Amino acid sequence: MGCWLNKSVAEELVVAYAARTLNADEEADFERHLENCDGCRELAAQQRAVWSVLEEWRPLPVSPDFDRKLAQRIAYTKPNGWWQNLFRTWGWRPLIPLAAACTGLAFAFLLKNDDGAGAPAPANQPGVRIEQQVEHALDDMDMLKQIGVDAAGAKPRSSQKI
Amino acid sequence: MNSDGMDSIAAQPSWDRRVKNGEAAQRLLDGDAELMLRVREGDEACFTALLERHRNAVIHFLYRMVLNQAVAEELAQDVFLRVYRFRSNYEPTAKFTTWLFRIATHLGLNWIRDEWHEKTKESLDREQDGATRQVRDRSRTVEQEMVYQVRLREVRQAIENLPSKQRAAVVMHKYEELGYAEIANVLRCSESAVKSLLFRAYESLRMRLAHMA
Repeated sequence: MGCWLNKSVAEELVVAYAARTLNADEEADFERHLENCDGCRELAAQQRAVWSVLEEWRPLPVSPDFDRKLAQRIAYTKPNGWWQNLFRTWGWRPLIPLAAACTGLAFAFLLKNDDGAGAPAPANQPGVRIEQQVEHALDDMDMLKQIGVDAAGAKPRSSQKI
Repeated sequence: MNSDGMDSIAAQPSWDRRVKNGEAAQRLLDGDAELMLRVREGDEACFTALLERHRNAVIHFLYRMVLNQAVAEELAQDVFLRVYRFRSNYEPTAKFTTWLFRIATHLGLNWIRDEWHEKTKESLDREQDGATRQVRDRSRTVEQEMVYQVRLREVRQAIENLPSKQRAAVVMHKYEELGYAEIANVLRCSESAVKSLLFRAYESLRMRLAHMA
């Protein structure tokens, strides 16, 4: 007799039947079906066989020092200081703006030193000194422009760039 | 509960048992979440209780996934270490065991993927490695023991030949007795996908193992 069950439904029933997870009514219904369906009967027998063979594979005993080793690893990874707790709570993401701010400050500090207050250029590098003098002159002219003094013959800043 | 209620429950022993089992299971599940919430608040003793409750299940699951006891224990340590580390982020939105098995499955599948290229070598090593062989049952004769080891090897090879996700689904379904819905939650897929995984896996196993019954 042909099986009237949908293939996936039949498979689900066969697996549940072997696993004994069907309730009493479902099991009785399915057993009635098995009496009339050779295909499902064979499938159910095979699944039950596989199920019992899989039962034979029992787990091994757990090592007695499992908990001790785990406790050691936990102790090793436990944060000790407040900053570690902070890091654990907030993660590394808040450090990005902090790092950006530090970089910006460092860059500004370097620029400020370059503006002239810094160390003079070495004597054996005349090119550097001339460049600084030119830059100072341009800065002075800009300043004069801002306070309204017309610097005769002064060209726009964009064209003054060497 | 009044006496009529008690009588009606007593008249239905299977229903009564099922209800009691369900309530016990619910208490156990709630207990897990409750313990984990206490761990989140810094109660270390509750972590020990959770470890005591789920240690064996996690190790046995991982052993059947990676087929190596030492590796299974190492990975199980990683699982509990992660649970401990992420305790502050724990929210009881899903069952604790779903979360636990999700971590274990993730680690197990990663290990299988990373060790794929050494699979052949590992299998050969395991054949000679007494530590991973099933412990001998002293009630069996030497002959029975040999037959048992041969059968066991076939079972292991059949499981090992399954694709890793099918293996995880079968181990959770057969040995950890998880339902389709919970396996779907662990594997982050639909229930129908889990059924499909399981039916294909059992089909392969039937082809390989049915003759052993």
